[in-house]
Amino acid sequence: MRTLVFIPAWNEEASVATVIAGVREALPEADVLVVDDGSGDATAERAREAGALVASLPFNQGLGAALQTGYLYALRNGYDACAHLDADGQHPPEEVVRLLDEIVADRADLVIGSRYHSGAVASSGDYRPTFSRRIGISVFRFFLTLATRQRFTDTTSGMRAANRRVMALFSQHYSPDFAEIESLQLAVRQGLRVEELPVRMLERAGGASFLTPVRSAFFIFKGLVVLLVGQFRPRQAEAER
Amino acid sequence: MRALALAAAQAEPQVHLTSQTRIVAAVIAIFFMLLILDLIRRDRLQERYSVIWFVAGLGMLAGAAFPGLLELLADAMGVRNTNVALFSIVLLLLLGLALNFSVIMSRQAAQITRLAQERAIEQARRGTADRPANGNGSAAEQALESEEKRL
Repeated sequence: MRTLVFIPAWNEEASVATVIAGVREALPEADVLVVDDGSGDATAERAREAGALVASLPFNQGLGAALQTGYLYALRNGYDACAHLDADGQHPPEEVVRLLDEIVADRADLVIGSRYHSGAVASSGDYRPTFSRRIGISVFRFFLTLATRQRFTDTTSGMRAANRRVMALFSQHYSPDFAEIESLQLAVRQGLRVEELPVRMLERAGGASFLTPVRSAFFIFKGLVVLLVGQFRPRQAEAER
Repeated sequence: MRALALAAAQAEPQVHLTSQTRIVAAVIAIFFMLLILDLIRRDRLQERYSVIWFVAGLGMLAGAAFPGLLELLADAMGVRNTNVALFSIVLLLLLGLALNFSVIMSRQAAQITRLAQERAIEQARRGTADRPANGNGSAAEQALESEEKRL
């Protein structure tokens, strides 16, 4: 079983090495790839020093394109399972191991680490969203559940594990703007087994969220349009015809 | 009130294009088509994107040369004023062109992204080449390629 853990990173020179070290400790067998999304700082150098493989995009392409690069790399290089987590230190690497276990045991094709799942244990220093974020989260949660007829609690989680079926799908289709939400919808529509697992997440190490109320509203509106359009995409069975 | 407005509209005579407008339009159309030819000649515009502009120029010329065509269209649209019909048609045409460009732009954005990803992956792969081999021989790669197609 070959496993790839990839980390999309954009200007994360301060935290990327710590995250890599954490992953290497938790998953000594796995290969670690940092997808450097056109960083202007020393993210790529720090990652290489920490012993990770580095795939550098020549210019900033957005999270979706960076994640797709990871899936494409995993697919091309014959990995059986892959997982990704954020480079800012929000995601404890030990939790990634639990996600990967689900893939290895073939209980799901795609596993999402959920912050809000009822099983997640809250403790001090754990992740607590701001008010505007909570509104956005519940709106997306509602509409994604409506669209997929499957309950999702954490629609924007950037901690996931996947098998080769998902690699093949995501390396072909992955929205650059609404990577997390649309990819969930897509995976469910293609008949893949998507599962949520409660995980512990930490407070963002540094830097405030970029969302102001107006931007949040626009973000939500854009997300809803993306979801609506996604409902009209062909399903696998129809696409094969 | 509505009946009154309708009556007033009916009393208005139909507005036609003046000869002056027609001459100006014809000159602009010819100038426009020459500009496109020149852009193609100097490799500033690819032929495949010029066809639609050429058609637009020809349409403009046709409208100027045969105003009857335009009036026929105006009648079909239920517009009394030929100038208004002309504007609406041009507006619709521009809308279509703008949409067409958005489609082309989206495709090119996707192509650029994929190109960047391929380069990044190739670079990361070269990074692995220095390390002990992972059993990624050519046979393994061929098997992967066929699997990629199957999936």
